[in-house]
Amino acid sequence: MPTESGNDIDRSTRLALYRSQLEIRLLEKRAYDLFLQNLVKGTSHLSLGQEAVAAGFAVAMRTDDYTYCTYRGHAHTLARGAPMTGVLGELMGRSCGLMRGKGGSMHLTSVEHGAMGSYAIVGANLPVAAGAAWSAQLRGTGQVAVCFFGDGATNIGAFHEALNLAAVWKLPVIFVCENNLYMEYTPIRSVTAVEHPAADRAQAYGLDSVIVDGNDADAVYRVARTSIARARQGGGPSLIEAKTYRHSGHSRADPGKYRPPGELEEWMKRDPITLYRKRLLELDFGEAPLGEIEKAAQRAVDEATEAAKASPPAPLEVIERDVWADGGSSWRN
Amino acid sequence: MQVIMPQLGETVAEGTVTAWRKKVGERVEAGEALFDVSTDKVETEVPAPASGVLTAILVSEGTTVKVGEALATIGEHGQPQSAPPAAAEERLSPVVRKLLAEHGLDAREITGTGAEGRITRRDVLDSVERRKATAPGGDERLSLGPIRKRTAEQMALSWRTIPHVLQAVEVDFHAVDAARAAHGKSAELTYLPFLARAVCEAIASFPLVNASFDGDSLVVRRRVHLGIAVDLGADGLIVPVVKDAAAKPLRDLAGAIHSLVQKARARKLRPDDVTEGTYTISNSGRFGTFLTAPIILPPQVAILSLDAVAKKPVVSGEDIVVRPVGVLAQSFDHRAFDGAYSAAFLHRLKEIIEGTDWSAALAEGRG
Amino acid sequence: MAELSYREAVAAGIAQEMERDQRVVFLGEDVGGAGGVFKSTVGLLERFGPVRVRDTPISEQAIIGAAMGAAMTGLRPIAEIMFSDFFAVCWDMIANEIAKARYMSAGQMSLPLVIRTANGAGSRFGAQHSQSVENWAMAVPGLKVVAPSTPADVKGLLAAAVRDPDPVIFFEHKGLYASKGEVPDGELVDRLGTAKVLRQGGDVTLVALAAMVPRALQAASRLQDEHGISATVVDLRSLVPLDTRTLLAETAKTGRLYTVEENPRLCGWGAEIASIVAEECFYDLDGPVVRITTPHVPLPAADALEDNTVPTVERIVRTVVRTAG
Repeated sequence: MPTESGNDIDRSTRLALYRSQLEIRLLEKRAYDLFLQNLVKGTSHLSLGQEAVAAGFAVAMRTDDYTYCTYRGHAHTLARGAPMTGVLGELMGRSCGLMRGKGGSMHLTSVEHGAMGSYAIVGANLPVAAGAAWSAQLRGTGQVAVCFFGDGATNIGAFHEALNLAAVWKLPVIFVCENNLYMEYTPIRSVTAVEHPAADRAQAYGLDSVIVDGNDADAVYRVARTSIARARQGGGPSLIEAKTYRHSGHSRADPGKYRPPGELEEWMKRDPITLYRKRLLELDFGEAPLGEIEKAAQRAVDEATEAAKASPPAPLEVIERDVWADGGSSWRN
Repeated sequence: MQVIMPQLGETVAEGTVTAWRKKVGERVEAGEALFDVSTDKVETEVPAPASGVLTAILVSEGTTVKVGEALATIGEHGQPQSAPPAAAEERLSPVVRKLLAEHGLDAREITGTGAEGRITRRDVLDSVERRKATAPGGDERLSLGPIRKRTAEQMALSWRTIPHVLQAVEVDFHAVDAARAAHGKSAELTYLPFLARAVCEAIASFPLVNASFDGDSLVVRRRVHLGIAVDLGADGLIVPVVKDAAAKPLRDLAGAIHSLVQKARARKLRPDDVTEGTYTISNSGRFGTFLTAPIILPPQVAILSLDAVAKKPVVSGEDIVVRPVGVLAQSFDHRAFDGAYSAAFLHRLKEIIEGTDWSAALAEGRG
Repeated sequence: MAELSYREAVAAGIAQEMERDQRVVFLGEDVGGAGGVFKSTVGLLERFGPVRVRDTPISEQAIIGAAMGAAMTGLRPIAEIMFSDFFAVCWDMIANEIAKARYMSAGQMSLPLVIRTANGAGSRFGAQHSQSVENWAMAVPGLKVVAPSTPADVKGLLAAAVRDPDPVIFFEHKGLYASKGEVPDGELVDRLGTAKVLRQGGDVTLVALAAMVPRALQAASRLQDEHGISATVVDLRSLVPLDTRTLLAETAKTGRLYTVEENPRLCGWGAEIASIVAEECFYDLDGPVVRITTPHVPLPAADALEDNTVPTVERIVRTVVRTAG
């Protein structure tokens, strides 16, 4: 797909897009290293290679907009401004974790940053995002909800229910399908009745079919800007299919051996960050600002790593807390 | 219930079941012919010992079994009963047990109105209410429970028929205390087991105190079955018996006494536990009394009371020392023996208590 | 005081809360224009308008998801699931998402929502439209569970549920919609987690919920008149929070506890009650705890069959008489 290098995106936005992608990349790589050191337990679903989608939308959103993502949600949560220490701390089960170790990698949440949850059940976040959009519409605030999910979610019931409801009620929600070609270990093409799992379903809900190069942060940003503006003005929902690829396996337990030879290498040539850096240089940004961003990002990740490592394990007292609004878990008198 | 091979003749040790008159599952009535048996002396039919359903035949026709062995079982309503039916006490619900304990009642004193004669919570509460029923004028009428009634009758009989004489001696429990202190704290090692041990020894020299009065003769009992009087509060006295107390080393005697007293307080004594006593001890000293004249339990001929053991000034040689002193008082049946005999027995008892190496006695019997 | 039917009390309760608090919104299938398939939400669309009262497609997951999304962003939604059996269709949203969001986010997420539904048997709708599934909800940490038996309780407990900051599953009984009762005038707000002793007796304690409550009361009358057995009847009203204090106190007074449950035998709410009593009230028991329940079968459709599957007054009386000795 041809990329546009236009002047419809200002310099500071582009730098923000670069910074966001880089921070995500560096943090995700660090998360992987920490897993190899057995400091991150359980499972982790990394967004390596998919940074442009998260960054493209986050930069286009207002701070009071809502993000809904899946278990592959570190990127989106970070992109909305959640602190790195909190993210790494949560992955490592520490007190400083965003959710004090109660949620874990698959449920990263930072309500104060509009990160309204990472949802581990495929498809569950779509109806909830529609609900948040309904709430914004009812309250008349102009807020929108952006909901991220994978290609696999397009075949589950909740996807269809949410899209239909959003379309009928003209809700300010943007549904973004990150099509990375694989629904867990199976190629999405082999289990879906249409070629483009999200875009080819749009018509069923009276929506336009929108496909974007998910590895081009500018392209994503443009689509985001347009669809968000439309929603904010009462134009209703959008369904966007972003074509991308994940560098690692489905989760860290998966070495990704089901991919045909050469496929990963092809996509690595289209690494979104490499592409974007190249573009910024072509646009005469100069090495200096980029170098600064890179140093700052690395420093931030390193500091967050040390801070998270220094934080004590989540205290046992939290086990019976926060089931109810009163902070407790009592079911009897 | 079990049907056993009956004793069909004095020298008959076994019998052969020649025929069963009933089949498994059939109803039988008590007294109805159940099976035929053949011995070397006689052939006869044996009746069913109870009514019910023949639930199992354990011995087939033609089998020879010893007298007393189980041949069959008879049950209720076709239910096989592999164990004897639960005693009424074992069907007490948790709240009934609790209320009985709280009010110091005995389950045997209460009529059950629940299913199959079960004692219900209401039954216990009603029983408590009845006991509190007030007479006019604000006086309280407390009807006597069965234990109290029994005690009352026995005491009156004893007082009416036995000429009681009281004799007492002061005893220094210094040696006992030393052994108790050396041993360390133990709920079992009150003065009672030491006294019991001393009594068994003294009886060896004065066998007449361990006798039963039988009209015109005195049956001198070889074995000492020691009764221990236990106070059940409002419900009266009960006297469980340590059988063969003289044969037990001090340690075991202490354990046996302790366990019997616990059982008595929990109202769990069996009839066997309160019979055949030959001599009784009463430890009355809890409230600091100096002397008690106990009432003999017929057909025994004597009973011993130990009241409070308290520190007293005592002459030792030419000095005055402080010693733990208690009064041992024996009531005896003057028909059985005289004051000199009783006094000599008491003197011997005192010697044993004051002069025995009690620590050694405690260690005795421990392998 | 006014006499209201159970279904009128539902609408009255919702209306009271929607009037009081602009954040309260209501959605469900056929709830607005049609006033609800059980006619329990008549008049709400007319009174509060199509922005706050919404008719949805047949999309249980979207309905509950919408309620969740709205609740976490400042609204106080009431969502209707037409038949409680349909919880099975959106159970992920209820049990995996709503019940756990606050806990997993360490208190960041707030979900002050109510899911109301028509529960229970007696309408000859067959096995997939007649279940009592309050025990399913009881078993999931993070959900409050309420099941009223009278119109006054409906209105008061629904108000309390709406005002509660936590997710509440509100089980109305479809067999009780036509029943009538006195409801106090004016604002009515009850308290979750409180049981009510409807009748005091000395021999046995009957604990019941929803449609089993009137049956327990009738059984208590017959037990007294025909058998001289005096029964306490407790309307549990909430399963979570559970009024264990009242439960234990009333059980201790008689020493005999009977639960009257409409859910099928295994893991019905009475099993939990019996377990609590066995553990904490053991020394006050004068006999075993007895559960009177629907047998462990799906519910049959024919009227004669359905009526004899769920506990009847006759079965309650017979069971107590047989075991109370």
